[in-house]
Amino acid sequence: MKNHEKRTQPIPAVDRRSVLKAAAALGAFAAFTPMIGACSSGGSPTAAGTVSRGPGPGGYKIDLGGYQGPELRTEAITIRVMRQSYTDPVNKLVTGMYDRFSAAYPNIKIQEELVPYGDLQQKMQVYVSSGKAPDLMMGRSDFAPAYKAASSTLPMREYFTDSYWQDIAPTLLDSVTFDGQTYAMPWEHLAMNMIINKDLFKLAGVALPPETSDPQKGWTVQEWLKAFKDLRAGFDAQGRRDLWPLAASVFGNGGPGSNYGQLESLWIRMMGDPQADKSTSAYKTFAGISDDGLTSTGYVDTPEAIEGMRNYQRLFQERLTPIGSVPDQMVSSTAAVSFAGPNQAGIWLSGAKPSFDWGVSPLPRGATILTCNASDSMVVWAGSPNPSETAALLGYLNNDANRIEFHKAWGSLPVRNSVIEQIPELRDSTALALAVNMGKISAAAPKTPGWFEYFNTMNPIVKDIALGADPDSALKDAARKVDGQLKKYA
Amino acid sequence: MMILPAVGGLALFQLFPFGRAFADSLMRFNPFTQAPNGFAGLSNYAEIANDPSFWTSVANTAIYGIGILGLELPLALGLALLLNQAVAGTALARTAVIASLAASEAVISLLWFMIYDKENGLFNGALGLIGLGPMDLLTDGSQAKAVLILMAVWKDIGLPTLIFLAGLQSIPQEYYEAASLDGAGKWSVFRHITLPGLRKSILLATFMVTVAATRFFTPIILMTQGGPNHETSNLMYYSYEEGFLLNSYGTGSAAVIAMVALLAVVTAIQIYALRERD
Repeated sequence: MKNHEKRTQPIPAVDRRSVLKAAAALGAFAAFTPMIGACSSGGSPTAAGTVSRGPGPGGYKIDLGGYQGPELRTEAITIRVMRQSYTDPVNKLVTGMYDRFSAAYPNIKIQEELVPYGDLQQKMQVYVSSGKAPDLMMGRSDFAPAYKAASSTLPMREYFTDSYWQDIAPTLLDSVTFDGQTYAMPWEHLAMNMIINKDLFKLAGVALPPETSDPQKGWTVQEWLKAFKDLRAGFDAQGRRDLWPLAASVFGNGGPGSNYGQLESLWIRMMGDPQADKSTSAYKTFAGISDDGLTSTGYVDTPEAIEGMRNYQRLFQERLTPIGSVPDQMVSSTAAVSFAGPNQAGIWLSGAKPSFDWGVSPLPRGATILTCNASDSMVVWAGSPNPSETAALLGYLNNDANRIEFHKAWGSLPVRNSVIEQIPELRDSTALALAVNMGKISAAAPKTPGWFEYFNTMNPIVKDIALGADPDSALKDAARKVDGQLKKYA
Repeated sequence: MMILPAVGGLALFQLFPFGRAFADSLMRFNPFTQAPNGFAGLSNYAEIANDPSFWTSVANTAIYGIGILGLELPLALGLALLLNQAVAGTALARTAVIASLAASEAVISLLWFMIYDKENGLFNGALGLIGLGPMDLLTDGSQAKAVLILMAVWKDIGLPTLIFLAGLQSIPQEYYEAASLDGAGKWSVFRHITLPGLRKSILLATFMVTVAATRFFTPIILMTQGGPNHETSNLMYYSYEEGFLLNSYGTGSAAVIAMVALLAVVTAIQIYALRERD
């Protein structure tokens, strides 16, 4: 009877609709929780305070380069590293360095994550936002103002000796240093040149550009454009539409608009003049951004910048370089010229010779000769639980022996003068001596905490210009968009 | 209690992300840490409304939706009718059509990227054989949208085909036998028996394809990056660009909410248009 009574009574509101409502409320509560107390949410990891000093160079179990921080702890530690993937032999070389470090410090295990080069910055940003970033990450010197403003990377000045820092190329060190603190450790020095396939110049019957180690003695941008046109005509006359005067960019993820900082910005900034009065458009064109890092209007859309982008556009409109991304055109001998860092020449000089006769020439010269030293740079995450051990590992990777070994395998230009002096071919080879000399006159990317947005706004606009957009209106649009993005840093 | 696991999953994977996106669309964010740092009200919505790229993305979302639906559903229905025939080779053909569903979208995108390449692509190579000049398939806005739609139709046609096949096989054979006895023609049988019998399948396929077309993203990021001049960007790509390339989580979230609102309106219209009539 009692059971029957229970069955006949209405069951109080536990139906499907009420469960769904409750679930929705639960989901909404969880979703809106971050709004509560949002103003107090800082989220940025704390920067290190004063670093206690250890024995300094020569006083540790192995050569930790210029590291002068405390002795490494003895408890079990895992250091996470995120970097770009190189070729297999170079990857093995780097992991071999980890093995030697772990052999000296058996309590320290190193876990590595390899990321495609073009995705490094974004991946780093996502990791830092998540609050669980790798201890050591491959960043770039042009993003250093953002790292500093975000307090996302460890100020490293005190972990290394003054003489170590002073050994780094001044323009490069300046690009990662703010108010006396250094927020990234340059890993290599990007100093570009033009690598040339002499066989293809001969095939097209075009005179070779000057092969010199003096950056000022190369061709002007107009001379290069004329040579590219002549090469195109020469290839076409022989029915070789598969050959190109200028190789497609292999920077970033390839193709036009692939890497504004390191490559495409050169076309604009070379038309400016760093020695001109600060109020002139010539100076502003070279600077690329206002002194406070918050305004690009009047800097990226000057008459000089527009002229630079018109030059750039000709490459694509006159079929001087492919519109899309084509890998390895230089190596496969289907392009006569390529913008390249010194590592290409370094690899070829170390024995892995290409199938053609090659040389190098300085970059195109506008009102000035410019190479942007936006270089791969290692950063220690500010939230790392192992800052000293990570800085020590970085010091080890950067010691003289490892840097020379890395140069021999990868070919890139070391950042420290004392290392450069130990590598004879950097003096004796015209190709590498040119890179060294270009490094001496290299300039930093426009300094702004919003470089990530600046860079990501300019890349597609540069691509649009390559595809035919009017450089004048495209650059004005770019300046408006960049300024809109930079407002949030004011 | 029986539906609690399903409800829990719904709350965790659908309602929570949606609520979070809505909450984020009303907030300002620290561009470095992506931590919320103040209530923004509707200013994120105002900001995207003033951005011409947003409206281009809205229009493109509609173009992709209409283009993909308009091509994919009739083609899938035609394929399903063919594959429903009891003739030799249909089993193999069914597998082939459905197999494309299992392929990685990223791999397929890269493959089609190579096919569409202006200088070395198969498509332009074939055009060259018949004396036609190379086309800017991925670098001209209109052409790029068209080829992205074609690729999406090729990649996704398996699902609606599968739905239609299941629907066709659930229509009682007696209806066809009766129609045959009455001397009905093929068109008449299709119009009065097959199509009404497929009504629920059409509704389901329409929803599925609409959602897939709205979420269209991987081919855009891998093949055009939304360019040239945002002409291939849709709301999915726009929100990604705002949130992850320009460090603007607030406006990125506002674009997501706009996309969900648009999808809700379109779906409601579809439900109304395809409702069961007495």
